Amino acid sequence: MKHALLLLIAMCAWSQSGIETPSIGMVADSLGSLRAVQGVAGNFLLGPPMATGVLSAACSELLCLAKTDSKILSPTGQTSAPPGPAIFGLDRDIAVIFFPQSQSFARWRDNILESLDWTSDDEVLSIRSGNNRLEIASRRDWAGLTNGPVLLLKEDVLFATADELVLRHPDASESRFELTGAESITSMGPHYAAIRAGDLTFALRLDPGHEQLFLLPASIP
Amino acid sequence: MKSAVVLACLFPFVAPAQIALYVMNGSTATPAGAALDLGRIAVGDSVSVRLRIKNIGTSVANISRFAADGVGFTTDRLSVPFPIAPGSAQDVLLSFRGSAPAVYSANVQINSQINNISVIAIATVVNGPSLTVFPVCTGSDGPPPAIDFGRVQAGQLRLCNFYLQNTSAQPMTIATFQVNGSAFRQSSGPKAPFTMAPGETTAFVIDFTPSTAGLYSGVLAIETRTFALSGTAFDSPLPKPLLEFDSGPMQSAQQRRLTMRLPAAAPATASGFVNLAFTPDTTLVTDDPAVVFLATGTRTLPFSVTQGSTQISISGQASAMFQTGTSSGRIRFTLTGVSTDGDPTTTLTIPAALLSFDTMTATRRAGNLDIQVTGFDNTYAAGAMVFTFFDTSGQTLQPGAILADFTQAFRAFFTTTKAGSAFQVRVSFPVTGDTSGIAGVEMKLSNGAGTTTAHLTFK
Repeated sequence: MKHALLLLIAMCAWSQSGIETPSIGMVADSLGSLRAVQGVAGNFLLGPPMATGVLSAACSELLCLAKTDSKILSPTGQTSAPPGPAIFGLDRDIAVIFFPQSQSFARWRDNILESLDWTSDDEVLSIRSGNNRLEIASRRDWAGLTNGPVLLLKEDVLFATADELVLRHPDASESRFELTGAESITSMGPHYAAIRAGDLTFALRLDPGHEQLFLLPASIP
Repeated sequence: MKSAVVLACLFPFVAPAQIALYVMNGSTATPAGAALDLGRIAVGDSVSVRLRIKNIGTSVANISRFAADGVGFTTDRLSVPFPIAPGSAQDVLLSFRGSAPAVYSANVQINSQINNISVIAIATVVNGPSLTVFPVCTGSDGPPPAIDFGRVQAGQLRLCNFYLQNTSAQPMTIATFQVNGSAFRQSSGPKAPFTMAPGETTAFVIDFTPSTAGLYSGVLAIETRTFALSGTAFDSPLPKPLLEFDSGPMQSAQQRRLTMRLPAAAPATASGFVNLAFTPDTTLVTDDPAVVFLATGTRTLPFSVTQGSTQISISGQASAMFQTGTSSGRIRFTLTGVSTDGDPTTTLTIPAALLSFDTMTATRRAGNLDIQVTGFDNTYAAGAMVFTFFDTSGQTLQPGAILADFTQAFRAFFTTTKAGSAFQVRVSFPVTGDTSGIAGVEMKLSNGAGTTTAHLTFK
């Protein structure tokens, strides 16, 4: 018995039953309502509105943030913020945020927003934060590839052309998905990106080897 | 006394009268004269006229009597007394029906504390022609004299055959023989004026040809008689629509595509709704809410097809995506709001399947080994699990296979959430000692379709 002794088996105390509905993340629907997305690949359920007037939203494995016109909402509270939408760069439980309307940056932690003395002379498309580094995708940098939305992922990058979604891996290999008219790409959760195209919202599964594009059910107001 | 009656008849409205009587024709009010002629009507038929009692004075008139005294005359008057405020009015329906040829009259009397009104109502009852209605139309000579042409496909013709008979002992002159109504037309039979001998019968035909779907009405006027004509038209049925799906076996947790087409061109522009319903195999839940059309998140979408086309547009698109859910069972597609030449209902069977895993992780914590599995069990019978741990050389660690049965926990979860069978379960194994040598675990998870085996490596 060189190794550990397995003493007993029990259901985890995560929840009362130990079993719960799988959470995929959060998405702001076309009506500006923030909704939880639950289920498994190919079988999605949208929850009731958790907040309204939401302009932007993003989730990491540990944190979901949403931006209304004047506030940043988190699961534990809210804080005042510059007006307009936001671009989130989430890193575990903190975030670097860009506010396009005021062209300003800030760092969010525990419902406190700290202004950053950074500027950008270009359109900021996405922010990747983590591992003591910060990477900003700007329009100028991506002009040769796309005029559409770009999302920097943990390792990969996802961007939309006029008629395709392109998931580019660190080794420069790509997965392409047919999709016309993508207007925005956000991080829906640790395993999915949300892509808005008109009134439709798509979910791209990002797990290596399981990349697949799905359509989210339209939400009922 | 005779002169008093004449005076009353000549001057029914004596100044300064407070109440006045009008004969209504639609919304037009005509002051009633001394006599009110209801005209000639056939034996057994009825005639009605709406009367309006109006207070044209400046104080409340209390109506103490309203009566139509005469055989065959009736009113739907309110019980007296009743007040009428200045400027207000009260409508009353005066009806008459006679059972034998004669001239009938009634004294219509309205009394108030201010003034009284008396009008003589007259109706002339004559023998009228008798009508026999042959199938497929329905209806009768009366009462009420009405003929229903039934339901007819728009653009199609329905013929109704009739016999007209003079049942009296005298010759009968038919001066009026007329069909009114946009979809009704007399296609054969006599033309007015004509005379029918006692007992004579003559046949005629009325066509009903509605151009579009809807309710139709008309009138058949024969001398003293009036028959209401009615009919309903519906759109031409579509050839039975074909509901088709993208290729591949139907399974749970899929997003599939529905297309609809016609085997032949649509005879007319049509629209309706395509609906889906889900019946799970299990009795543990009654539905799976994820089985929806994705475009709306609902189970109903509108569809339309234009005349001459075989392609059916669903919610303005060439196809509609839907989710198959996470329950074995049957997805039933039906069409409503449209007439089709056959039942297009289509049922998809989602078969029971082994447990399906979306994500699986195995991690070490201090004093614990955690296994987290996300997936679904479309049989709703998950729970039995067997875990076997291995060291870095692939040898089974003691105590060997560890059996666990979480069936009741899964059942409670499924019945509580009612959100399909998707689940996330984390099983923790408290351990003592050094866990670094525990390399992996083999899981055998069972459900109603069998046992699934998975191997995980600890991170």
